[in-house]
Amino acid sequence: MSMISNQSQASKVATSEPKKGSSPMSSATASRKPGEPLKFVDPVFTLKDVAVSYGNFVAVSDVNMQIPSHDITAFIGPSGCGKSTLLRTLNRTNDLIPGAKVHGSLFYHDADLYHPSASAVEVRRRIGMVFQKPNPFPKSIYENIAFGPKVNGRPKKSELDDIVEKSLKSAALWDEVKDRLNESALGLSGGQQQRLCIARSIAVEPEVILMDEPCSALDPIATLRIEELMAELKKQYTIVIVTHNMQQAARVSSYTAFYVTEVNLTSDRRTGKLVEFNETKKMFSTPDDERTEAYVTGKMG
Amino acid sequence: MSTTAQSGSAVMSLAPSTHLRRRNLIQLVITRLMASATVISVLVTVGIVLSLLPTTFRLLREITTQVFGTVWAPLFTPSQYGMAPLFTGTFIIVLIAMVIAIPIGLAAAIFLSDYATFNLRRIVKPILEILAGIPTVVLGLFGLYVVNPEFVEKYWPIGEPLAYTALGAGLMTGILIIPIIASVADDALSSVPRAMREAAYALGATRREVATKVVVNAGLSGVVAALILAFARAFGETTIALMVAGSYPKLTANPGDPMQTMASFIGFAGIGDAEVGSSAYNTIFLVGTVLFTVTLILNILGNRFISRFREAYE
Repeated sequence: MSMISNQSQASKVATSEPKKGSSPMSSATASRKPGEPLKFVDPVFTLKDVAVSYGNFVAVSDVNMQIPSHDITAFIGPSGCGKSTLLRTLNRTNDLIPGAKVHGSLFYHDADLYHPSASAVEVRRRIGMVFQKPNPFPKSIYENIAFGPKVNGRPKKSELDDIVEKSLKSAALWDEVKDRLNESALGLSGGQQQRLCIARSIAVEPEVILMDEPCSALDPIATLRIEELMAELKKQYTIVIVTHNMQQAARVSSYTAFYVTEVNLTSDRRTGKLVEFNETKKMFSTPDDERTEAYVTGKMG
Repeated sequence: MSTTAQSGSAVMSLAPSTHLRRRNLIQLVITRLMASATVISVLVTVGIVLSLLPTTFRLLREITTQVFGTVWAPLFTPSQYGMAPLFTGTFIIVLIAMVIAIPIGLAAAIFLSDYATFNLRRIVKPILEILAGIPTVVLGLFGLYVVNPEFVEKYWPIGEPLAYTALGAGLMTGILIIPIIASVADDALSSVPRAMREAAYALGATRREVATKVVVNAGLSGVVAALILAFARAFGETTIALMVAGSYPKLTANPGDPMQTMASFIGFAGIGDAEVGSSAYNTIFLVGTVLFTVTLILNILGNRFISRFREAYE
């Protein structure tokens, strides 16, 4: 069943492709007044008045934005601004934290992600995630990649071999590990482990890959390789990346969302807010909001 | 030099003051005391083991291949030293205990680590640990006066169960080690990093798949350690076997029959009226050595698995 819906998605993307191609940088920016939210043709995510709370604590609120397909969107902002929380609501990973609750409406294409009939397991199969610290399973390289396809179906050994090879090639790791697929994934370097985790996500053929500070535990060379990989992957996948590193956002993304922590002086509550969502080029040159400018120029945060 | 120079004649002294010398002395005494406490506890253990060996070897030289016989009657004349009935008795009772305790204990551990809410786990976990501390004599009594007459005697289809049965002893030993397996395995599973679970969920795995295919796999050495420790506990359990299985070293495979384990033989024979140098006295040492060796190996294996597990995640 998941295979069928997957194909219908692919065709949807294909039909929307010409429109997208006819106006580069998408139709979003053509005649937009400052402060007006970006709109995309067939966005992957549409967030309306989204807020996330843990018990009584509201981590982030009033988020309105759309996230375009087959492109890289970056979330930046100071620590505690709710950018990771928001990212984790996009594939319902936040469901796993007791007390976490999502308010407002969050659509994945035209499906409500938090509709009572939506299955978190199905959501996560389509929307993969790569975490801050590389977290390979303590299994062989092969078994790490094969895990997702195995739980999502019963592929034959030969099919599985193909998936493993294809995924590792997509993650630019195949040449380094092809001779030791049966060795433990824990023996790889940090950067290799992170590319393995990306390959592992790709293996279940998601449409979206969420990346939560994927390079923060890596050295500059490994970081560069991941960034090159992301540029390659955006041809096939929609990527949303949370990063602490502004240069990284500037290098890899087409669109950037900037969040801050607003402190309510009367209640001393801290809540993350979306300040600005714009083309990355604009965010780092002539942003609409002065807080964005202060942050990207290093005067704040 | 420059600091002392300012006061001219006063030379800075780094020699210890009287007060510091006293503190150093106290420190030395305490260090020696703690070191000797460590040495004593190690020496006592080694001494006990060594004291078993001469008598064991003396008896072994005397009886040689008789230990491979099938009749265990060292307390009668003529004595017979075939250890087979003790081995089968021990094996069957431990087997029954493990067959009961492994599924229940592991299911409980997986439930506690991956299904139970934080609050439920906080309540249940200490209860499990209390259960692990129930005096075995209480379990033995229950086995003797409830399990044997009410269950085994009434429902066991093979033979005619008497007041003492290996099945009852195996059941009660199983109940004894369930909390050990549940508690130690839960510790292992709960310390599998959350990142591991999130990675699996993010690939579209269900809660059951996350628990059984990732968490148990990642915590496997801890789980194996739990099983080995539980096995060692069941293997050395004396009171329950003595009270519930009787003291009849019968060579049989029918769990409805009475049996004797190695531990319960020692408990039975070593109650003080064995004369030094007598055959009863010597066999206690022999069985004790075998029991000790097996338990030691199991404990070493268990600890090795635990430390390997810690290496991977700490």
